[in-house]
Amino acid sequence: MIVTMILVFLTAIVAGAFGGMLGVGGGMVLIPVVTLFLGVPMKVAIGASIVSVIATSSAAQIVYVRRGLTNTRLGMVLELATSLGAILGGLTAVLLEARVLQGLFGALLLWTAWGMHRGRHADGAHEATGLLPQRYLDESTGQTVEYGVHRLPLGMGLSFIAGNVSGLLGVGGGSVKVPVTNLLMNVPLKAAIATSNFAIGVTAATSAAIYYGKGFMDPRVAAPTALGILIGAQIGPRVGARLRSHVLRIVFTLLLLAFAVQMFVGAAR
Amino acid sequence: MSTVDDRADTEGHAEPADRPAPAVDERIDRLVRRVLTVGLSLSAILLCAGFVTWAARGGDMPATVPGPLSAARSLAALDPIGFFSYGLLVLILTPFVRVAGSIVIFLREHDWRFAAVTGLVLVSMGAGLLVGSL
Repeated sequence: MIVTMILVFLTAIVAGAFGGMLGVGGGMVLIPVVTLFLGVPMKVAIGASIVSVIATSSAAQIVYVRRGLTNTRLGMVLELATSLGAILGGLTAVLLEARVLQGLFGALLLWTAWGMHRGRHADGAHEATGLLPQRYLDESTGQTVEYGVHRLPLGMGLSFIAGNVSGLLGVGGGSVKVPVTNLLMNVPLKAAIATSNFAIGVTAATSAAIYYGKGFMDPRVAAPTALGILIGAQIGPRVGARLRSHVLRIVFTLLLLAFAVQMFVGAAR
Repeated sequence: MSTVDDRADTEGHAEPADRPAPAVDERIDRLVRRVLTVGLSLSAILLCAGFVTWAARGGDMPATVPGPLSAARSLAALDPIGFFSYGLLVLILTPFVRVAGSIVIFLREHDWRFAAVTGLVLVSMGAGLLVGSL
């Protein structure tokens, strides 16, 4: 047990670093590793993963807010849309077969990865619209970036759907929010990552409270996960801030592809 | 969008007319940072205490966390499961506190639009809890 716990802790550091750097929860690193290699049951792994999303979001956010990368107001609007979607997802979960949904979500992730790849030329081309404007210093270039949000209603609608899907599958909040914010709402990638990171904590907190209440949380897995994430998620954003946006974009696109494969494997099982 | 405060424009940048007052945003960001720092530190201390007391006392660790009341009794008895439970509970509650705190700040600043947005976030979190615990 003690060895497993140490390995869970180390896995969580890596998951937290990746999740924190990319604005996603890190469950897609944590869940497969602990279930496939460490023999942790799926239900326990999901409970720990939800805790890991809160820890990732909160720990990384301390770094992002301090650096002024988070568009807090946009984050609040997005978390409203997402949490409303998540409630609906939780209500309709019984109506749809998980495998069908995983297949569809996998296809959506592939399409999103293509969009992220094509969107690479847009790095740096941001204009001030006056809507939820924000300004930050990009550490990798030393330049101050100023932007405003485009297409807010469309972004909210898609965040609602993202919340809906993550309510149904228990995954995928950030992997949809980052591309939507970056590609459609024209928010620079680094700010999109920080803002998505801000917003994913809220829905996770709700799910985690439910999981806790139902007794689906194993302290032998959840406790080392939480501690590991708290460390990793402070490292990730610091690394991410120094990377050029196009490097971050490539890493994020690869993450989407890996996530799509996971969804397809789940659907084919 | 309100332009409540002009003294916030201390950095010498020309602000567009409907840019939200930076003073409020600064206060919100400070609140976010503080709530998260306190919540995470407390959670990390409790979780570490759990490992320390478990290593000192030995024994089996239950496969599930007890409810808050039962966990509080364990905590009072310095039982490791009490530390683990409260470490996780504090972590889970931190985002709730962050949202509730933002509501207060927006209300104080008469930023009704964002008081409503954050208020609805808290309501939907509560509704999520209700739906999920059915």
